[in-house]
Amino acid sequence: MSARFRIGTSLAQACQDLGYTGEVGYQTFLYSSEPDIRALLIFLAEKLPRHSHEDAHQPAGKSAVLQREIATKIKQQLALPWLPPSCRTAAAKRSQSLCRLHRFHVQPLSLAGDSSSKSISPERKEYWEKYLPFVSMQLPHAYSLAASLLERNTSDLSAVQEWEAEWKSQGLASRLSPEEYRSRKRQRLQKRIQDQLRQCRQHHAENHLPGPSTQDLVDMLKTFTVEEGTDNNKGSRFTHAQKFTHRQDPQVLTEQMQRVAENLPKKDTQDAQAEQEELSSLQQQIEHIEQDIQALAESTKLLHLTINKVEEEADKLQKQCDEKANAVKVKKRAVELLPDAENNLAKLQVMVDGSKQRMASLVGQWETHRVRLADEYSEMKRLQQEKEVESSRWMKDVRDLYDKIRAAADEAKRKEDLYKQLVSEYESLPKDVSRAAYTQRILEIVSNIKKQKEDITKILSDTKDLQKEINNLTGKVDRTFVVTDELVFKVGSTFISFSGYWFVCTLTCSVLSPAKDAKKDEPVRKVYKYLAALHENCSQLIQTIEDTGTILREIRDLEEQIETEAAKKTVSNLQKILEDYKAIKQENALLLSRMRDT
Amino acid sequence: MELSEDLLRGLQRLADPAQFNLKVFSAVLRAALHSLSPEQAAHPALDDTVFQHIPPCHIKECQAAATTCILEAVRNNVDRAALRYLLLHNKYGGKRVTSSFVSSYCSCSHSTFLEDCKFDKERTEHFWTEYQKHRESLEILLENIGRGPQHVSDVSWRLAYEIKTNQLYKTYRPSYLVKFNLESADTSKAPDLSFNCSMEQLQDLVGKLKDAAKSLERTSQL
Repeated sequence: MSARFRIGTSLAQACQDLGYTGEVGYQTFLYSSEPDIRALLIFLAEKLPRHSHEDAHQPAGKSAVLQREIATKIKQQLALPWLPPSCRTAAAKRSQSLCRLHRFHVQPLSLAGDSSSKSISPERKEYWEKYLPFVSMQLPHAYSLAASLLERNTSDLSAVQEWEAEWKSQGLASRLSPEEYRSRKRQRLQKRIQDQLRQCRQHHAENHLPGPSTQDLVDMLKTFTVEEGTDNNKGSRFTHAQKFTHRQDPQVLTEQMQRVAENLPKKDTQDAQAEQEELSSLQQQIEHIEQDIQALAESTKLLHLTINKVEEEADKLQKQCDEKANAVKVKKRAVELLPDAENNLAKLQVMVDGSKQRMASLVGQWETHRVRLADEYSEMKRLQQEKEVESSRWMKDVRDLYDKIRAAADEAKRKEDLYKQLVSEYESLPKDVSRAAYTQRILEIVSNIKKQKEDITKILSDTKDLQKEINNLTGKVDRTFVVTDELVFKVGSTFISFSGYWFVCTLTCSVLSPAKDAKKDEPVRKVYKYLAALHENCSQLIQTIEDTGTILREIRDLEEQIETEAAKKTVSNLQKILEDYKAIKQENALLLSRMRDT
Repeated sequence: MELSEDLLRGLQRLADPAQFNLKVFSAVLRAALHSLSPEQAAHPALDDTVFQHIPPCHIKECQAAATTCILEAVRNNVDRAALRYLLLHNKYGGKRVTSSFVSSYCSCSHSTFLEDCKFDKERTEHFWTEYQKHRESLEILLENIGRGPQHVSDVSWRLAYEIKTNQLYKTYRPSYLVKFNLESADTSKAPDLSFNCSMEQLQDLVGKLKDAAKSLERTSQL
């Protein structure tokens, strides 16, 4: 029970948070009345997000359009009757004959490139000019040609896209031109491959006696190392091949094709055994030649080493010779100067002093120069840093620009798609639902409202007329009474009477029979009495009628109130409330007992 | 619709009136369309006298480009306005950045993609008429790439009632021998598929088929 109460309160709170202005509380949900709930539900329904409404206006996505197309196509094909294969028309053949299907079979194609560009070798140009067959003749079937062409186009495009993505994410950050970036990446890859191969080779060298489990791997590595060993001084052949295939894929392909083409006729003329023999003899020859090459390479290495050694020795000897010649020169000079030793010593002293002074002045000069240069150096450094900062700023700008371009392109694409879709949807919409129908309906509604308004004004004027008439009548009654009163008064004033009562009585008498004498006093008085009674009775009657009207109105009000109260199901609600109250009491008792137990 | 740079260059070359006059242009176009037609007439007249003054590698390049362009157009179901736009305004080239921008923009729409071809009006019209002529056969060509299960065109069955087997004294069970006739290109020897199944299996099969038909209908009423 308490849980229900809590839920009801939270619901009411939520409704109030949504902005419901009416009265809402837990009682709205627990002891509901129809109109309250109705009003609340209407409010909530208005607050609901209008999915379906917006869906109608928002264009469907690409996939939805595709699905719709698929649906219409399926519907079309379902509507067609099945025909036996021999009776099929062209259209039915297209949708019903599936036995002519071919696999999506792609073969590499060789296409002529841009022959006007300068980086293309003349050999390749010649190949393009003279030997390259037309695309249509490179493959045997039209369907594989179509598949291959589509595949090639797509792969080219995706390669461009991939490159762009990489360039934007990493290339721009490296601040290199695209060519530099490419060449650096290639170098990196080559280095990695070389490292890998070197490692493999070392690994192989370490395991001279490999176990049987690693035999296969070692065999594989051996093939690598053998290949590398033959071309040792030219860099690894594998890396060359890698470079080659990366750059000049079609050329390799065409070379291979030519080779195969040369081999083909030979194979036809010779029988298998001769081929085998030739193959083995050629293999032997190759082995011989390889051995020779290895031996020669080793001897060349040896010779190179000896040449180096001899050159080093010659250098050493030359140096010794130069040193000795210098020593001889100095000694010769000293011997020449010996006879006049005193003078020469003094001269030498002077020279030494002079050189000392010169040294000091040079040190001073150097100091000034150094300071200047140091200043310049720091200035340059500062400038360089500034430039760095600026370039990074530029870099950021460029990247922002790229992003913007991409965003704009995406946006344009999206818009264009949307436009197309909307156009197609517009075309598919039924055209006959025109504005005219809607305007007609609106006009009808407007005329209805006008009619109703006229009715209302009519009723209003009727009421007014009635009111006026009532007013008139009351006025008339009043006036008539006053006039009669006056008349009676006039008649009565001709008689002399002193007492107030008699005065009035004579007044009344004179109204009815002014010519009559005082003897006819009695009827006059009676007349007046009747008049007064009549007036009183009439006013009473009017009063009663008015009272009846108000009472009727009150009755109506009360009936309405009763109806609303009845709609609120007060009795059942009361019962419910009582039950709930009992339930709460029980719960409380239970809780209390539990508390006591604990 | 997008084409790679090589193919765009080929198309542009094809649009150049100095190199390819209208006659040569239409010959290349015809050759491209011919090479795609299934009955591929033996070597269309590409090495005609018309091409004498043009380097053959250019013709090869252009033919490949035109063929791919046609195929892509069919694949994307390009409409006339888009194709025309594409062929009329081919402005290929420029710096690396602009070209990358163009290509990224090209990915948005074929109309901008064909911004790269500079075809004049006459050529575009010619292209369109030729394309229209072959469109259906090209569509069939592309539709026929793929795989599908074989069509069942007919079914015949026989009901057998098993009373006993070698192993069981009495079985009393119905069994069905069903034969499907499959459709094939060669009507003289239509292959068929026969199998034997119990009643439950047959019910299962029929239920599955009904399900399939129903789901197909549901898909069509999207």
